[in-house]
Amino acid sequence: MVLGLALWHVELVGQSCLYRLTGQVVDQASRQPLEFATIMVMDEDLGEVTGQDGRFEINNLCSSHSYRLQVSHIGCEPQLVEVLLHSDTTIVIEMEHTSYKLEDVVVQGKSNDYSTEIGSNIQKEDIVHSSNENLSDLLSTIEGVSVLKSGSGISKPIVHGLFGNRIGILNNGIPQAGQQWGNDHAPEIDAFSADELTVVKGSSALAYAGTSLGSVVKVNMSKISQREGIHGQLNYIFQTNGLGHTGNIEIEEYKPQLAWRLKSTIKHIGDRKSPDYYLTNTGQREKNLSLQLEKTMFDHWQSTLYYSLFSTETGILRGAHVGNLTDLESAIGRSEPYFTSDEFSYSIAPPRQEVVHHLLKWQNKYFLKDNRWLEVNYGGQINSRKEFDVRRSGRSEFPAMRMKLWSHYFEQLYHQPIWKDGELKIGLQEMMLDNTNHPETGILPLIPDYRSYSGAGYALIEKSINQWFFDFGSRWSVKKMDVQAISRTLPREIEYFDHFFLQSAFSVGGRYHWMDGQESKLNLGFMKRPPEVNELYSFGLHQGVSGIEMGDPNLSMEESWKATLGHRWQQSSSWSINVVGYSQWVKNFIYLQPLNEYELTIRGAFPVFEYSQTNAHIYGLDADASWHLNTYHTVALTASIVRGDDIQNGNSLVYIPADNLTATYRYQLADHRRWQKSYIEIKGQYVFEQNRLDLDQDYLPPPPGYFLMGLELGSNLVIGGQRFNIHLDIQNLTNTKYRDYLNRQRYYADEVGINANLSLQYSF
Amino acid sequence: MIQILRLLPVMIIGLLFVSCEKDDPIIPNEEELITTVVYTLVSDSAPTVTFEFKDLDGDGGNAPMITSGILQANTEYTGSLTLSNDSEDPSEDITSEITEEDDEHQFFFAVDGGLDLSIDYDDQDGDGNPIGLKTKATTGQAGTGNLTVTLRHEPTKSADGVSDGLIANAGGETDIEVTFIVTIE
Repeated sequence: MVLGLALWHVELVGQSCLYRLTGQVVDQASRQPLEFATIMVMDEDLGEVTGQDGRFEINNLCSSHSYRLQVSHIGCEPQLVEVLLHSDTTIVIEMEHTSYKLEDVVVQGKSNDYSTEIGSNIQKEDIVHSSNENLSDLLSTIEGVSVLKSGSGISKPIVHGLFGNRIGILNNGIPQAGQQWGNDHAPEIDAFSADELTVVKGSSALAYAGTSLGSVVKVNMSKISQREGIHGQLNYIFQTNGLGHTGNIEIEEYKPQLAWRLKSTIKHIGDRKSPDYYLTNTGQREKNLSLQLEKTMFDHWQSTLYYSLFSTETGILRGAHVGNLTDLESAIGRSEPYFTSDEFSYSIAPPRQEVVHHLLKWQNKYFLKDNRWLEVNYGGQINSRKEFDVRRSGRSEFPAMRMKLWSHYFEQLYHQPIWKDGELKIGLQEMMLDNTNHPETGILPLIPDYRSYSGAGYALIEKSINQWFFDFGSRWSVKKMDVQAISRTLPREIEYFDHFFLQSAFSVGGRYHWMDGQESKLNLGFMKRPPEVNELYSFGLHQGVSGIEMGDPNLSMEESWKATLGHRWQQSSSWSINVVGYSQWVKNFIYLQPLNEYELTIRGAFPVFEYSQTNAHIYGLDADASWHLNTYHTVALTASIVRGDDIQNGNSLVYIPADNLTATYRYQLADHRRWQKSYIEIKGQYVFEQNRLDLDQDYLPPPPGYFLMGLELGSNLVIGGQRFNIHLDIQNLTNTKYRDYLNRQRYYADEVGINANLSLQYSF
Repeated sequence: MIQILRLLPVMIIGLLFVSCEKDDPIIPNEEELITTVVYTLVSDSAPTVTFEFKDLDGDGGNAPMITSGILQANTEYTGSLTLSNDSEDPSEDITSEITEEDDEHQFFFAVDGGLDLSIDYDDQDGDGNPIGLKTKATTGQAGTGNLTVTLRHEPTKSADGVSDGLIANAGGETDIEVTFIVTIE
């Protein structure tokens, strides 16, 4: 949405629109003019590309009108510049080169955006409309990304068939240190805090810390735009399903000495409703706050301080809380879940989760001579998680699981040009994690207390030769883990374990620009991932999915080879096709193996699952195509297919997304007086049945395929120079009753029914 | 290259972690844990029989110990259930916790394998619904089979047949599900 001021000049009569804006785009550090920088006049269909001298010229602009320019250049973060025209004007725009990231097969948060440049403020628009949802749900609009859900309030992203420990999440450049190992632990990030969501699907994500097997989700905040005065926006979203209110405020001010931005979000959602019944106890609360300060010192030193607080309370469907296998079996066959209330409620009772996450980031970038720069960053995080169960004698007030995870992250990066048209990047990254369980639970912890230390060094070289672009990288890291576990036998005592892992990773990539605008990218990578603490040491009953899960301290590292091939055709602005194919082999793939034995406890016998290793092959295809018939009509199609084979056991991996297909038709309305940029969009999505699992791999066969319809209306209302954005998004339009394979509560309840999100935005 | 080397000290500073010894975890007081279920059957005309299920270290660790018993045929017994947490010293009485929240708990008894044993509730909560801590057990002909005792937390006691001991409609979560081998001679 419209980050700003706008087109109210259209309303004014007799205005002269013959002015000219000229300017030059230069590199901030070197003052060199930048060729091929794009200058877009936001809210207008005007744009220019700079020539060899970095200069541009835009004509027919109106006087006394404030224009917002979005300036982007390959390897730079896009910038927003505001210009107030009184006469012909000349400006100089400084661009800060971050890094060349062309090598990544990057798909941005907007599914029909084909730019290879990372970052485009357009994406903020889509994020804002649906920020009452979880971050992961937003990501799922990207082809090749699905979500693993635990009911309606908790979801985590699955990228190319992998999730949890195998996906890295970078929150503002800092690897998210939450309890990511848990399938019912969602990323602890406010969706509103993101100005841009990027999923790096290739294997070239070597520069990003964390232990991913290739894919990385990046949640980025934009730089504070260089505009005079105080600006910001107010957002409010009402959702009919769950009668949810989400409010958000963002304020920022740019001053050369100090720029600041403050964001805050409050969410209050009650019980969701499936077509036939309320999903009792599925309410959600969220309170988030973030502060960003930017300062440039001595022209060469840029410093950014960022703090964010995320806090949430999420209810878990009461009927999904089961004691043992008998309970699970009796819950499975029901027409509506146990404990379903006839009345809507905002209250959240156990089982529920409370999560608080603090992030403090200090980023320093120091520009040296000759286009070189040095970056020193620190990220500190505290993750506090409490899970409450239905317990006896008032103990529901005490969490059944309570953990605090501290982390410190240091990063030193160095960047310099090398050869002709080449770049060298060197980085060092160190991270420390400290997890402590709180004994007030009165229950032996599921995962033990531990500390882990890791250090990594990497080097990346990038070079363009004519239409070719190559990159090569290598990363080495060590990880040490000290574990303090409580014995499972009596007398209880502390057992000490330690682990040491040496990881290596390599990647090589190439990109070729065909003459006619086509582009191909190939990426090959090898990487290792050490087992996580849950895979090594978890022990306990898993709520919701009756089974005892056991870690194995003898697990070795996963070793993965991944090849990604992408191709893009674009025919002027009328149509484009983008296809990404990938194939990944993982040796020693860690998974939960059913042991076909039962552990007898006082609550009955439970099946036992142990973390084991196998060899896996995951491969698939993501495709999207869009066709602009003319200014008014746009048709887009996206499809993704993933297969995950357990080569050793000859069956399929669990939680592999089913094939899915989405089609959208968008009709852009002509501007009508106060109503501008209005559109109607109809969306249809078909998710196939996941039919590649054996019957003995799950308690229930995966649910049948389903088709969902959606309708979206959006418009900008301009009244007296003030701009409002109104957006209505109706999901599951036909109130279809269905269950999804990737929702771990599919045994108990249907998915949510029809929902309408009404989002209002006021920008100032 | 020399310039890069000059930058190295800056990079290495970050490597120096201030790290002190991490404290040992505090072993939680597992007061909610139920380790022991004892079902005692007393009769005027027969010796007292005690069925016991004991799993001192909770889930995992060592396997539970189960004591079976022999009942006399065609006899009426008075049954009582006691629950405790014997992993603590002194052991913790869980039965009283159930009594305090008797409206939220109910025991269910199921027999199979042709065992001729019927168990009826002999106690009530404040709403007049059964609990199952006190029961009347009546044996019939000789035989052997399984007796499964289940404790449900937050069952729907008002649901069809639940107050008569029908577990199928009860719902709630299972806190206890133990099976004893019963022989009637």
